Amino acid sequence: MTTYKLLVIGLSAGGYPLIKRILQALPKNYPLPVAIVAHLPGGDESNLAQLLDASAQLHVRMATDKQVLARGNVYLAPPGYHLLIEQNGDAPLAFALSVDEPVKSVRPSIDVLFDSAAEALETSLIAVLLSGANSDGAEGMATVKKLGGLGMVLDPRLSEFSTMPEAAIKRVEVDYVVSLDEIISLLLSVDEKS
Amino acid sequence: MLPLRNPQHFGCLLFHVDTMPLIKWKNHQTENIEVSLMLSALQQRYGYDFSGYARASLKRRLMALTQYFEVAHLTELIPAMLYDEAVAQTVINSISVPASEFFRDGAVWKAVREIVLPGLASFPRINIWQSGCGGGEETYTLAILLHEAGLAKRARIYSSDINPAFLDDARAGCWSRRHLDDWRENYRKSGGKQDFEQYFVARDGEICIREELKQSIEFIQHNLVTDQVFKEVQWVVCRNVLIYFGQELQDSVLHLLSRSLERGGYLLLGHAEKIMQLTEHYPDLEELDDQAQLYRKKVCMIRSKVHDHL
Ligand SMILES: C[S@@+](CC[C@H](N)C(=O)[O-])C[C@H]1O[C@@H](n2cnc3c(N)ncnc32)[C@H](O)[C@@H]1O
Repeated sequence: MTTYKLLVIGLSAGGYPLIKRILQALPKNYPLPVAIVAHLPGGDESNLAQLLDASAQLHVRMATDKQVLARGNVYLAPPGYHLLIEQNGDAPLAFALSVDEPVKSVRPSIDVLFDSAAEALETSLIAVLLSGANSDGAEGMATVKKLGGLGMVLDPRLSEFSTMPEAAIKRVEVDYVVSLDEIISLLLSVDEKS
Repeated sequence: MLPLRNPQHFGCLLFHVDTMPLIKWKNHQTENIEVSLMLSALQQRYGYDFSGYARASLKRRLMALTQYFEVAHLTELIPAMLYDEAVAQTVINSISVPASEFFRDGAVWKAVREIVLPGLASFPRINIWQSGCGGGEETYTLAILLHEAGLAKRARIYSSDINPAFLDDARAGCWSRRHLDDWRENYRKSGGKQDFEQYFVARDGEICIREELKQSIEFIQHNLVTDQVFKEVQWVVCRNVLIYFGQELQDSVLHLLSRSLERGGYLLLGHAEKIMQLTEHYPDLEELDDQAQLYRKKVCMIRSKVHDHL
């Protein structure tokens, strides 16, 4: 039986109401820390943490460099920085940031977060892709699957901006292509599994 | 024939070799070995020590080189890198990322205008050390700020970087016009009231910083990993460099930066580079603005036990 240790979520255009609902549903004692890359049009990311924190039960905040991941928290990539997961030997999981070139013309990039999380956590990772108007996240999801993590993608037929989920399921076979409600209940069932 | 002191033991060893399972390595773990080998070659041949850098992003940049050079494995680049300095320079350039902007994170420079510049004005001389200057965008940001605060004549900016190629770019001070709109917007967010473009002249389709703004700047090669403090300064600016370092290296570099500060001097880090455990690890520093990551070296250390006993 797998013990999951981290949940990563990627979203872009149209993703805000979706992530809001997911975070409203996750209980205060949710067993996994959550790391999110969201690129929203017009640089709206800056106060995204505050907006989401107001309605979530978990503590939502902007990730900082070298910060150790702890359950009970949801971390957002700071605007303008890639967010990566570092696993060094026995040290606890920590974030790392970079201002390396944008990937697929975005920074933060979902691919960068998913790739680094997959390498750090292999089978102990859950990755979720919601909605967006570009193909960011598809490569990252492929890495997650290659290294044995659990991959979920929002059903593109239920998404206003379906390019992102479509690109991902075209690129790699994931475990679930389902509605938001089903994603939420799958994420909640982790509680009992781990 | 070798004297076998303990034939039984020998037999036992053979037995082990026969059945010892080769540990199954995943490709990404094997790539980590390749990264270490590359870094070791670079260090032994060229003296650049990147071993303490944060691994995840470093690996990503190195792995991108396999596509650039069209090789299947990173270690295939080792011979080329050892014998061809141009290849080594490409590798070093890809490890040290010069990405910068004028007035990146406008709100941070607003805090600088409100807190740091008036504070600096009270020092008899103003020396500023900007470490990790990249292509110079941030260096001239400092020059513009000093100019607008009327401090340019009294101040010297020492701008350093590990990479001499970036220092050359920074000295030249020319960029593509396409950035101008973003930079003007950053400048406006920083509380800038002038016409931002007046600080540039157009040349060969590019924009180049005005010569007057270069006058107070000195560019020097300095490696935060191996070089020491070179001057006592009143302001250290080191933004988006520490994120590239692992925890240990970050700690030792922060101590280096703090040592080079005069008491009462300021330290400005990158927007997302929060110093963890400030009070325990850096009792000399205090936080002035946690949004801007602006710190100050305390004017006087709180006298501890000795004082209490008097
Ligand atoms: C991302 S840039 C930051 C540019 C600028 N400070 C900014 O924030 O806009 C990082 C810079 O740090 C430099 N750097 C990396 N390692 C260094 C070291 N060991 N010593 C000095 N500079 C270093 C790189 O060459 C690069 O120019």
